[in-house]
Amino acid sequence: MATLAQSPNPDIALRIEGMNKYFGNFHALRNIDLTVTRGEKIVVCGPSGSGKSTMIRCINRLEEHNSGRIVVLGTELNDDVGNIDEIRREVGMVFQHFNLFPHMSVLENCVLAPMLVRKLPRQQAEEMALRFLEKVRIPEQASKYPGQLSGGQQQRVAIARALCMQPQIMLFDEPTSALDPEMISEVLDVMVTLAADGMTMICVTHEMGFARRVADRVIFMDRGEIIEEAPPETFFTASRNERTRQFLSQILNH
Amino acid sequence: MTDLAPPAPGMLEDLRRRFFASPLQALVSLLSLGLIALVGWKLLNWALLSAVFDPSQGAEACHRAAGACWSVIAARWRIILFGLYPYEEQWRSALACVAVVAMTVLSCIPAFWTGRRIAAIWLAGTTVFYVLMKGGVLGLSYVGEESWGGLALTLFIFVATCLIGFPLSIVLALLRRSELPWISRTTGLIIDAVRSLPLISILFTFAIVLPFALPHWLQGDKLYRVIVGSALFFAAYQAEIVRGGMQGVAHGQGEAAMALGLSYWQRVSRILLPQAMRNALPATINQFVISFKETSLVVIVGFFEIIASGNAAYGTGEWRFAYAEVYTFIAFIYFVFVFSLSRYGAFLERRMSVGER
Ligand SMILES: Nc1ncnc2c1ncn2[C@@H]1O[C@H](COP(=O)(O)OP(=O)(O)O)[C@@H](O)[C@H]1O
Ligand SMILES: [Mg+2]
Repeated sequence: MATLAQSPNPDIALRIEGMNKYFGNFHALRNIDLTVTRGEKIVVCGPSGSGKSTMIRCINRLEEHNSGRIVVLGTELNDDVGNIDEIRREVGMVFQHFNLFPHMSVLENCVLAPMLVRKLPRQQAEEMALRFLEKVRIPEQASKYPGQLSGGQQQRVAIARALCMQPQIMLFDEPTSALDPEMISEVLDVMVTLAADGMTMICVTHEMGFARRVADRVIFMDRGEIIEEAPPETFFTASRNERTRQFLSQILNH
Repeated sequence: MTDLAPPAPGMLEDLRRRFFASPLQALVSLLSLGLIALVGWKLLNWALLSAVFDPSQGAEACHRAAGACWSVIAARWRIILFGLYPYEEQWRSALACVAVVAMTVLSCIPAFWTGRRIAAIWLAGTTVFYVLMKGGVLGLSYVGEESWGGLALTLFIFVATCLIGFPLSIVLALLRRSELPWISRTTGLIIDAVRSLPLISILFTFAIVLPFALPHWLQGDKLYRVIVGSALFFAAYQAEIVRGGMQGVAHGQGEAAMALGLSYWQRVSRILLPQAMRNALPATINQFVISFKETSLVVIVGFFEIIASGNAAYGTGEWRFAYAEVYTFIAFIYFVFVFSLSRYGAFLERRMSVGER
């Protein structure tokens, strides 16, 4: 494999090489290698505490990695604050608990970053926000506050808010695990649409139906390591890895 | 009472159940009612019915009357409100009070809450106050800070304390949350040290002791040193209130803002502080009220604020007996300000709870 970043390949959205992460003495991520091309959809799964969140949070520097390299859209993630800002502008993130700003209306949530970070004029930002709110099928809630919406609606607003920055990569950290069962599909449907539009997506999720429909590759993590990496069909039916099979039997028969 | 007939049966029944359920309860209720009526009557009699209002009759009329001697207020209100400020110039002090109150009221109105407007209001308000009070320009005669007094001084000290202390408290609270341990610990130490001292000793230090320690050009007038001291005291308490408010903001808020690419100051000003201040609002209003009342302590370092002016108002010869009326009057002034502050706090709380379930 060619050494990375020297000849940046425009088709590569993300490259992680030999990445390690410690929390104090605890080795949370071990030698992570991962390459994601543009437009690719990756589903990350694995038992709780295996480091899935930590891995995707390293991609936009919500966590700092201790060794190895992360290159996002040709920009190396290091202590250079300019690089961090640049990467955060291009990488959107959706959280398990939505993390909408409760003191702002839905519309304000959506226009905040485009206006402050991308310096869009308000009118343009609002037009775009309404477009994305329509895309997540919730335009009529624009003037409400997050506390007045259901969980599924809040998560769709959170997706719209991230999209308003017009990111090239979207990270999802268990976007449906805090939702009541009847609201899961409305969020997954939005994510499927987004995938169909060609967005590069890295999703931590245990929604195996979604993985089968959308993922180009499924990554299985355990104890801070990537154990297996395979297309969904192979992953679900023909995995040779003992831990993968054990995990799959647990989540499919719960 | 027949016109109250429709709700009466329910109301009477309700009263009977609440206050006259048993003979003992009825007795206690009746006794309390009698006591309230008695005290109420005495107060009314003192304050209005038997009171003397006409100052032209002088203090003599008050000696003969059984009620309050409000003529002391009519005769001496100018010394209560303006202290030792030169008599012919007291209109300036009055206008200065109006300027400070106007500035405060304007900055309480949400429509003015943009950095530029607030800054303009404060700059205009303090300039008008200062020019009016001190003079020496625009044909106004010079009046040094040592002659300021009464309500104008009380308001000035309070407003200046808040204008300096409030931003300082936010800075202190942010520093205390710093990820660099030496910054957060030092800030914590300063906050705790200031909070562990009585305000009187801080005022005393800034007014009397500091001039021995500071070079002359850094000292400023005693009034400004006292304001700095009281602002520091206010900031130390308020910083802990703000920090408490910040602790109530969910961790994910900052992360979401970071993931959207917001800078540190954008995260602080748009996400952290608005939510933290909403959490901290009741305690903050409380702190403002305490601090307004504490301005009276500046009397110990020789300032003639409203209570000291009140003492002077009845302290001379003929009105010496009328201290109750003077203190009632001052209490009323305090009440007007503090009560407005509390009501404003309640308004803000309602306003800020928009969007909460
Ligand atoms: N801020 C932190 N400090 C210390 N340990 C952490 C921290 N965040 C995560 N961990 C630990 O790192 C491991 C991986 O966590 P995480 O990435 O959240 O797992 P997952 O998302 O797969 O459930 C867990 O054992 C967790 O306890
Ligand atoms: Mg997780």
